[in-house]
Amino acid sequence: MNKSFDYEQYDNSIHRLGRITNTIGILSLLTLPLVFSVVLGTSLSWSGFAKGLLRVSITYLPICIVEFLIYVPILGSGGSYLSFITGNIINMKLPCAYNAREIAKTQAGTPEDSIITTLAVGVSSLVTMLVIFIGVLLLIPLTPVLNNPTLRPAFDNLLPALFGALGAQYFFKSWKISAVPLILMIGLSIAIPALIAQTTVMMILIGGIAIAITYFFHKKGALQ
Amino acid sequence: MDYFSQANSAPLYILVGVVLLFVAISCVLFTRKSYLAGLKMGMDRNVLRTTITASALFTVLPSISILLGVIALSGSLGVPSSWLRLSVVGNLSYEAIAAEAASQAMGVSLKDAASLTTGHLVTIVLVMTTGISWGIIATIFFGKSYSRKSTQLLNKSKKKEGKSFADWAMVAMFIGFCGTFIGSYVAEAVVFKHFLPLLTALVAGLVMKGCEYLVNEKQLAWMENFSLSLSMLIAMTAAVLLAL
Repeated sequence: MNKSFDYEQYDNSIHRLGRITNTIGILSLLTLPLVFSVVLGTSLSWSGFAKGLLRVSITYLPICIVEFLIYVPILGSGGSYLSFITGNIINMKLPCAYNAREIAKTQAGTPEDSIITTLAVGVSSLVTMLVIFIGVLLLIPLTPVLNNPTLRPAFDNLLPALFGALGAQYFFKSWKISAVPLILMIGLSIAIPALIAQTTVMMILIGGIAIAITYFFHKKGALQ
Repeated sequence: MDYFSQANSAPLYILVGVVLLFVAISCVLFTRKSYLAGLKMGMDRNVLRTTITASALFTVLPSISILLGVIALSGSLGVPSSWLRLSVVGNLSYEAIAAEAASQAMGVSLKDAASLTTGHLVTIVLVMTTGISWGIIATIFFGKSYSRKSTQLLNKSKKKEGKSFADWAMVAMFIGFCGTFIGSYVAEAVVFKHFLPLLTALVAGLVMKGCEYLVNEKQLAWMENFSLSLSMLIAMTAAVLLAL
């Protein structure tokens, strides 16, 4: 790294920018339904809101907290602010950041890595917004094409395609780390089929087990 | 005016457009800042450009999938609200679950769009946004301190133990994610005899290994930038063919 470059100053400015943009962003997003109600001349059901929020929060409040704890170290400062405001983290931002890290050959926790993940997440967010914007503009002609039953399996299997490709990349990095989490997930999901649809919750457990196994092998000096 | 005329009215498109424009500007600011910082830091311009190209290419297919979610959700919430919800915070599975939970809390269902009113719509959108906002709120209040603390711990582990546990931990975390999803596809095949997700994942994995072979053994370094997108594209095409 160029020694005249002040990384701390850059990092401070990223946090400042992130706090400002995310504060304005979330306030706008929360205010928007209220503005909708004024524009549409209708009123919110506050009791419906309270009941609905309670139902959603029981599951998603703990998930959001755990996601924050897990994703921030992986995505770096800039990548985190952007990922949390633009969403689609596990199915897009995280794989995108990993892919960029693999290509740029940077190491987690380094300033270079923070630059690369911010760049990757920023570009990814912009492309998504652009694709959806174009899609919304062309919604009428595009809907029958995208909803065509012949093409449907392609989009229904986007995540298998993504994790199949990434799995081939990462499982082969270390079978010592990969074997137990994979077998455990298969075994648990066969024993309790309801878990098959609970990937969001399970990945926290399986990810934690993978890290614990890594720690064990690393301490023993068994990882090359 | 009926429900869908109101849910798809021009003022809603404009309001959503303004908020999304702000988020897009934020993305541009972060991207520009990190690109310039990378150059000042002495990083190779080609590496930064490759990152941009590879990230853009990788994102196209998942974005089309999200667009499908907009189409699906617009059948009950109208286009502007669906466009908003799937462009920012959250993901398709969350949005569908939260919208249904909110509508059920008011005694209606998304499946019966005829029963929805604009009052339901604004309440559902507020529940969807609030329910997933905790991560953003956490970044605002704790992002700086937690990010610095975790970076310190990562770097400390490197110094202390010689070899980097931090790097292995990152690999392990992703192995955990991949293991969860691949494991669920294997179980789905065993329990429900739904083989398509597992076969799609296998095709993607094989293409990825093929690309790695070409990059490492045949010195086709340029292919590394496209290998993930190419693997996904071929696997998704295979899913269409296998489902015929």
